[in-house]
Amino acid sequence: MGRLFNIKQLKLINKYALRDFSRSYKKLWVVTSTLFVSLLLLSLTFSIKEALNSEIENNSKELLGGDIQVDSDIDPLPSAVLQKLNNLGKVSSTIEFATMLSKKGESPVFTELRAVDNNYPLYGEIETLPQGASQKIFSSSQKPAVLINESIQKLLKVGVGEDVVIMGQKFEVAGLVSSVPDLAESAVFGEFAIISMDSYEKFGLSSGGSFLDHKYRIKFSNLDKIQEQESIVNSIIAYDDRIKTRLPGQSGRSLNRVIDNFSNFLNLVSVSAMVIAGIGISNTLLSFINQSNTSIAVKKSIGFPSSFIQTMYFYEIILILIMTSVIAYLIGVFSPLMANEFLPAALGINLQPSFSLLGFLNIFFIGLLVVLIFSIPSLYSISEIKAASLFRNTFNPVSLNFSFKNIALLTILVLFLTAYFVLQTNQKLYTVLYFVSFFGTMLIFYGVSRLLMALIKRSYKFSNNSYRIAYRNIVAKKSLAPIMTISLGIGLTLLLTLSFVANNLKKEISDSIPSLAPDLFFVSIDKDVKADLESYIKKIDPGADIEFSPMASASFISINGTPIEEVVSQNNRSAWVVRGDRRISWSEKPKPDNPIIEGKWWEPGIEDELYISMDSRAAYDLGMKINDKIILNILGRDVTGTIMNFREVDYRDISINFAVIINKAFANKLPYEYVGTLKSELPSSEILAMVVEKFPNVSAIKIDRILKQVSEVLNKVFIAVTAISLIVIIVGLIVIVSAVLVQTTFRRYNNLIYKILGVDFPTILKAMTMEFALIYGTLILFALSVATMSSFLVVENALQLTWHFDFGLALWILVSTAVVSFILILLANRSIFSPKVYPLIRNE
Amino acid sequence: MLMLMAGLEKPTSGQITYQDRDITSYSEDKLTDFRKKNIGIVFQSFYLIPNLTALENVLLSLEANQQYGLEKDAENLLTEFGLSHRMHHLPSELSGGEQQRVAIARALINKPKIILADEPTGNLDSANSESMIDLLFDYTKKSNTSLVMVTHDSSIAKRCDRIIEIRDGQIV
Repeated sequence: MGRLFNIKQLKLINKYALRDFSRSYKKLWVVTSTLFVSLLLLSLTFSIKEALNSEIENNSKELLGGDIQVDSDIDPLPSAVLQKLNNLGKVSSTIEFATMLSKKGESPVFTELRAVDNNYPLYGEIETLPQGASQKIFSSSQKPAVLINESIQKLLKVGVGEDVVIMGQKFEVAGLVSSVPDLAESAVFGEFAIISMDSYEKFGLSSGGSFLDHKYRIKFSNLDKIQEQESIVNSIIAYDDRIKTRLPGQSGRSLNRVIDNFSNFLNLVSVSAMVIAGIGISNTLLSFINQSNTSIAVKKSIGFPSSFIQTMYFYEIILILIMTSVIAYLIGVFSPLMANEFLPAALGINLQPSFSLLGFLNIFFIGLLVVLIFSIPSLYSISEIKAASLFRNTFNPVSLNFSFKNIALLTILVLFLTAYFVLQTNQKLYTVLYFVSFFGTMLIFYGVSRLLMALIKRSYKFSNNSYRIAYRNIVAKKSLAPIMTISLGIGLTLLLTLSFVANNLKKEISDSIPSLAPDLFFVSIDKDVKADLESYIKKIDPGADIEFSPMASASFISINGTPIEEVVSQNNRSAWVVRGDRRISWSEKPKPDNPIIEGKWWEPGIEDELYISMDSRAAYDLGMKINDKIILNILGRDVTGTIMNFREVDYRDISINFAVIINKAFANKLPYEYVGTLKSELPSSEILAMVVEKFPNVSAIKIDRILKQVSEVLNKVFIAVTAISLIVIIVGLIVIVSAVLVQTTFRRYNNLIYKILGVDFPTILKAMTMEFALIYGTLILFALSVATMSSFLVVENALQLTWHFDFGLALWILVSTAVVSFILILLANRSIFSPKVYPLIRNE
Repeated sequence: MLMLMAGLEKPTSGQITYQDRDITSYSEDKLTDFRKKNIGIVFQSFYLIPNLTALENVLLSLEANQQYGLEKDAENLLTEFGLSHRMHHLPSELSGGEQQRVAIARALINKPKIILADEPTGNLDSANSESMIDLLFDYTKKSNTSLVMVTHDSSIAKRCDRIIEIRDGQIV
């Protein structure tokens, strides 16, 4: 392909390629099918991601619920400030807090309750069943009403018109909330309810303590000067650092992050599938070239240069790429309509298909890079076909051309493909690591196949016909070993790794955590109620294990004089510790389950100095050091403290843990409340029901319910992830079947000779089984080793859990893959089992 | 010997000259060009391209030489060779004799200066052999083309102007 062609030659290439393609398309089905499957996965990922992002962008005001949102956390805005905001447009006030919803005879439900005023929502609508039920919560003539979501309805077994109790006050269920315009995660995944602001104030529900969250959304009267009005809002609230604003563009950030992470995973799986498809392309193309060797030699003898023939075949591959990428892209374009069916209705998201030329070119370009990488060694083998062979009437099969020039070209293309993916993702390091491991694993599996061939050559040659045939097939030049090891090895490694990680995580949530975790987690307990609550629980169950910790709210202002926003990036793993309000606690002595790993604990009784103990992992992520000076804003007052030590905090058991602990003597001056945990032999639902009845303002989370929810979500995610990674195995199997099919002529000939020599069908079948068992056995040894190592690294380091090996799971995956692969290989080989003798005798 | 004459192989020693030009020093590209312009090859096993029709196989030779729009010439030549009714058939649909006639037409269509024929009748029965040889000799004579033929058949060899007998790699 090294020389340039003139227009007439290009036309000729086009004519020959089209003619050859239309008459040989059956031989290219592997290239077509594997390319299509991997491009389709890529296209679906891109299209759905684009549709989600554009939906979030187009509905950013609905998702935020206003043109701007002011968040004042625990304290409401002073009325003077509120008045100033009212001058800018329509203001909607909401208060969010966690409380218990109960019904006689049912276990109370920990609920995210939102109190809203008459202006809510400023954008979009609350969708309810029955329709218009949202108006009932504002009606003053009727008894107080609440809108609940479907999850509460199921847990409390409560219907529309029935009563539920919130903090001792009866509310009638006016309807079910199916979606709210401003994204409420609890509306989708947890328990969520809405009452009116009037009810909230009238019944004094403001005992949410430090968990109250006041939000004010504004719809500007003048939409022409939005930026100017945003500045006015910022100047109005500038008097207090703790009051923050949010703009519509920031409303879907957490959702965007989830979408980015998941689509990045899908992209990597797609490109893995595509690279394995590339192996199939390379193999199919090479066998196609070998089958066409006389035609190529004739063309050369007539005067066509190798470059012309190479370009012609490459053009055919490009035609396939164009066709498959167009179809895959078109399916991808309309996939958001299908995705709508699977998205939770409460999200209120309606994805729309959208066509973009750039989107198509993106998919085509990735496909082109993969096709180039894998077709170059095959196409350059054309130069090894000599026209002189036509006189000798013998043709030696050509092999992949890995000249120095080709290796350099391939390296550049692989680097380019990696860079292209890396530039498109936010997780650049992970993407680079994935590509390095992927290509590294490919090389390992290639090495494994060569090792198997070398070992078999050196091993004892059993006097068994089946073994001898299997041996010859494995060590033969056209052995299935390399292609089967690489194609199946990569997919199997990916599937095993993901399954091991998922299984370890599921085990942790279903077995380890429940055995350590408390049954109930009390939030925001008034300090005046704490003693009564404790004694009441002790009365119910004297053996109950109860632990309470004091708690106050604080926010990080600076580290060593540098504002916290400048020190910590948005992507920092521990940014959550210093972002916004953080609950802190205090203690005179270190907790036994929080060992100090650096620094010293403070002397008791020092009231005037603020000493800080930090979670060691957060401190490491945030670049904190012992003796660093931290400014914390505690209840509106900036206080400078010194970091005295780092603790190793294990959050896994869901006991009371704080990232930040301060000295008790200093904290004694602060107003505070309590959080607590309870572990009891009695059913937690019964204790909770009794506690909520006696103390209506106490809220508690049932840990088993949370673990069940997390487990359900994780199960769904891992089923999806495993199903997607199966695509890599499917593509691998197509590649293996194609490799088997292209060898059928060669194998049929061999079997024919064996048949003439007296070898029967069972011997040939046994030989095939042995061949498969030897190759598969070797590849699973390495797939299992790589998967075990990588899952161990992920589980122990990234997830910080204890890694366990699940023999049953590994066996199930390996056996089922073996069965499917072997059946497919047998089916692909069915024509070689009973070859006819006469073609050999007639020299056909 | 034919491979060397066609410029498909390079000699380990000695020279091959064509019209006083030493072709052994030619590059691969120049040899390809030389072959396109001067040489037509007829093989013992015909070597037609299986997925091209008889006409397309003949046109292939013209197109390799960047001569386009000469379908009529190819059709005329095939008609002259008695294949007017087989032009649009694939090689698998032709008899051995018909296939070899297409192969000869492919070698001649470009009006080469030399035809190299490697046992052109080796795969044919005697009746087909005779008509094939007649065709080859008549046409080369008519078009003033040199014919270099390798054959084991002494009756065919006798029809040539010059015979070089090679036995065990040596000129006898």
